[in-house]
Amino acid sequence: MDDATQALIDRIAADAAPVRPLRKGRGLALAGLAFLVTLVAVLFLAGARHGLMNGQFSVFFVVVNGLLLVLGLSCVTTVAAMAAPQVGAGHEGPKWAIAMAGVLPVAGVLAASAPGGVGLMHVEGIHCMYVGLAASVLIAAALFVWLRRGAPVSPKLAGFYLGVGSGALGSVANGMACADDSIAHLGIWHTAPVIIGGLVGRYVISRWLRW
Amino acid sequence: MARLMRAAQAGDRQAYAVALEQAAKWLRRYFRRRIALEKLDDLVQEVLLSVHAKRSTYDPARPFFPWLAAIARYRWVDHLRAEYRSQTQELLEDTASEDSAEEPVMARISLDRLFDQLSPAQAEAIELVKIEGCSVAEASARTGQSPSLIKVNVHRGIRKLAAIIEKAS
Repeated sequence: MDDATQALIDRIAADAAPVRPLRKGRGLALAGLAFLVTLVAVLFLAGARHGLMNGQFSVFFVVVNGLLLVLGLSCVTTVAAMAAPQVGAGHEGPKWAIAMAGVLPVAGVLAASAPGGVGLMHVEGIHCMYVGLAASVLIAAALFVWLRRGAPVSPKLAGFYLGVGSGALGSVANGMACADDSIAHLGIWHTAPVIIGGLVGRYVISRWLRW
Repeated sequence: MARLMRAAQAGDRQAYAVALEQAAKWLRRYFRRRIALEKLDDLVQEVLLSVHAKRSTYDPARPFFPWLAAIARYRWVDHLRAEYRSQTQELLEDTASEDSAEEPVMARISLDRLFDQLSPAQAEAIELVKIEGCSVAEASARTGQSPSLIKVNVHRGIRKLAAIIEKAS
């Protein structure tokens, strides 16, 4: 070994302060707490949708929010794992969840533009996109902090999953307050935060995940 | 190594020094045929600094070397991205000897194996421009690819390598 490398090792080893190993569970707990706080905040500020507390759900409500919840959990679990690099880690799970949830905007567009539909340009509820995006901020921040503490070696993918996951969970939180159960509304405005989140995560946030 | 790193995470300096020395030896072997030799020590030191900065991300319950390899690959791709043609050329001119001609050859042999997941044109462009330090025009003349195609292949090849850092080869 050359002298410079040995000198570096001596200097680094002298600085061996104890560190707490990064556990995936702590990342999940952090994101879970952020989701819980967001959910409570949305319910407190906007109020629970009619029927939420006594189990009166429409099929579309269950399907859309169920898919978004699975998508969000899948992405958050993967992001938590991506903080600790490992050759052999696949990170393939969210891809299938994204493909599954990708049916929703398609269904929304088809429902809106079908004969008898309201028309693509007249689907109401853009405020749901804003609320969903706002609700995703805290979850995204928690995941961002987690990744910054870690060592993601695929920053672009990690940023993308961060955006999709936080957008999906933010949309689920908003879904608990939204009273509109039409598939056109849910498929377009409730999935918009996921799409926007994914793009922002991939092209903006990922720049700050490099280390 | 896992036991040594666990002790290092607890603040054991002696264990940490041994772990880093072992890691440095392993990294030298790992990179030897994947980077120009004059850059080898710099890259090993960069990885050691990264290991130090991110040592909390190692989970002692998991094997050590896949973790180290992920960090090593990440830094290696960073290194490929960097423009260091001028330094490489200076060194080759200063140390013009029989050995210097062998360095790129050794790198190329191993890169052929490592770059299996790249297209042949991408691997060739990266080897010539990023490892051997050729200019785009020189690489173009040697491969028959147009200069713009060389640039595209380097860019896309490195982007693909960056995307497969954690994939087991």
